[in-house]
Amino acid sequence: MSKTRKLQAAIVVILGIVTLVGGIAAIARFVQGLGPTTNLSDAYPWGLWIVYDVFFIPFSAGAFMISAVTHIYDRHEYYPIARPVIVAGFLGYVFVVVVLLMDLARWHRFYNILIPWYWNLHSFMFEVSMCITVYTVILVLEVAPAILERLNWQKPLRLIRFATVVIAGAGIVLSSLHQSSLGSLFLLMPYKLHPLWWTPLLPLFFFAAAAFSGLSMAIFVAVVSFKAFGRDLKLGLLSDLAKIVAIMLGIYLAIKIGDLLTAGEMGLLFTEGWLSVLFLAEIVIGAVVPFVLFLTRKGRETSSGLVWGSACVLVGLALNRTNVALLALNAPPGATYFPHWIEIAVSIAAVAAGVLLFFLATRFLPVLPEPAVARDEATT
Amino acid sequence: MRKGMLVDLTRCIGCRACQVACKQWNDLPAEETQNWGSYQNPAALSADTWTLVEFTEVDEGDGLQWVFAKRQCMHCLHPACASACPVGAFHQTEQGAVVYDPARCIGCRYCMVVCPFGVPKLEWEEPLPFVRKCRFCVDRLEAGLEPACAKACPTDAIVFGNRDDLIAEAEERIRNQPGRYVDHVYGKDELGGTSWLYLSAVPFDKLGFPTLGPEPVTTLSEVVATYGTPSIAVTVAAVLGGLYYWFSRREKNMHAEQDAEQEEREAS
Ligand code: SF4
Ligand code: SF4
Ligand code: SF4
Repeated sequence: MSKTRKLQAAIVVILGIVTLVGGIAAIARFVQGLGPTTNLSDAYPWGLWIVYDVFFIPFSAGAFMISAVTHIYDRHEYYPIARPVIVAGFLGYVFVVVVLLMDLARWHRFYNILIPWYWNLHSFMFEVSMCITVYTVILVLEVAPAILERLNWQKPLRLIRFATVVIAGAGIVLSSLHQSSLGSLFLLMPYKLHPLWWTPLLPLFFFAAAAFSGLSMAIFVAVVSFKAFGRDLKLGLLSDLAKIVAIMLGIYLAIKIGDLLTAGEMGLLFTEGWLSVLFLAEIVIGAVVPFVLFLTRKGRETSSGLVWGSACVLVGLALNRTNVALLALNAPPGATYFPHWIEIAVSIAAVAAGVLLFFLATRFLPVLPEPAVARDEATT
Repeated sequence: MRKGMLVDLTRCIGCRACQVACKQWNDLPAEETQNWGSYQNPAALSADTWTLVEFTEVDEGDGLQWVFAKRQCMHCLHPACASACPVGAFHQTEQGAVVYDPARCIGCRYCMVVCPFGVPKLEWEEPLPFVRKCRFCVDRLEAGLEPACAKACPTDAIVFGNRDDLIAEAEERIRNQPGRYVDHVYGKDELGGTSWLYLSAVPFDKLGFPTLGPEPVTTLSEVVATYGTPSIAVTVAAVLGGLYYWFSRREKNMHAEQDAEQEEREAS
């Protein structure tokens, strides 16, 4: 016991230090501006931080997927995993907002996005910013019960419980919009984004990717957090989710291939050098492997199969978002970009801070079911 | 009336008077330049250099020759930058100039990423930078003057006028001297048209001008934004509502059945 305690303490300290370093780097960025503290340039106006955001937005979609399953369809058996997943999604989102703010060159004017007569309704950047703002508020409401229970504030708690279905519903609608509009950001760039990735179906692909990545994040977070805290978990629930992931991956793959075929772009899979390699890597690691794995019983019904399969999906997602937002966007000849250490430190710190807060939340808030009561709750 | 500029590259002598005039009129600081192996100076457009004479060496069969091409914002008729900006910081004036409102900008740099010509540039050295680019000398246009660069050009390689007249003029020049020009008025049809138009003796792709179709890049994105977004919202809401209704009814039926069973059992 004391050994695990020590290990946990060590992890907390390390995460804390990483967060601190990132925090200092963040201050430097705000004082000096983007030029001196990043390797962004006129040739590469977008870099690591944008990649961070377009990855963690669909990652956090797990929160809305699970809240949909539990609140709207009243599948009580999912309650035990709902809270940790929603907390993870919420934290993912909070740091998306933090990193996004870091990336805005004129961050002190971010509130311009809320001024109605400035709104450009044609702009998907507008839609994305709006969704981020509103969805963050909704996630706050979804996470609030855990905190309010702890503080024993009954009145607001009852209010939120009462509105749960509406909140969950609004969250799902917004989040769907949000995921597809993230893909739509690139519709304006048929001459910039490589044809392997550019297609009018981008919003659909981004939406689908958010759905299966969100579920994979839910599976991953559930297995890992229950394991780490030594709680019982019925794998059956997660196997069902894994089955859904497999179905979604199958459809995604079929549409991807169909889209390349109808555009007559199959040849690009082999002729584009390292871009072809990146595209194939993204498809094989992120879709084919987990698809096959989750089709097998062993892949779905063991915790190692679940962890590996969902990790593959998430790695594939990371590759996909890096490709679309950075590597497959053409830059002027001769220009190069590799993130500055400040960009890297801030990104790592954002993840570390998220993990740290998740860890603290599971320790001090009613996020995971109590070890003893867990079984009773699941059966009632 | 839509204004335009016609740049005839065959008349350009590479003197860079336009580049200097632009800096003077717009109060732009000089850039510290380095020798990077070309007469072109500086190497690329930037926040402080809104127009640049590019020097390209081409071989059209009769030995190497220099081609000079003044580049700047094209002032697209369907500007991607304006369609992209979340806070409407770019707008098009009636005369066709695409101009930037610094007060609105949040610095997301989406405009820089979407511009097919890579025109908008950021003041990277500033802590709170603005985006900057050629503004078609709107202040001069509104005062009835021609842009500073056109005024400065000693060979009339840059001419200012109504866009329609300039297209007629350009086509006339090609007709009169077919040997002098490639048969292409760059900017007439590209992306639905640009206010700035070019004539050249060598194909434009050899000069680094992007090859672009006649469809504006903004069409698809704006159609999806106008119709796609609300329909996704409505569909998702409808599907959710439908499923919710279905599930809660099934649940109710199940409860009813259970109750009935129980009653039966109790009765027997
Ligand atoms: S060239 Fe670029 S910056 Fe200029 S109007 Fe067109 S899209 Fe906007
Ligand atoms: S950087 Fe400024 S001008 Fe460009 S799209 Fe963003 S808010 Fe608009
Ligand atoms: S139109 Fe004005 S701002 Fe644009 S390049 Fe010419 S002088 Fe510069």
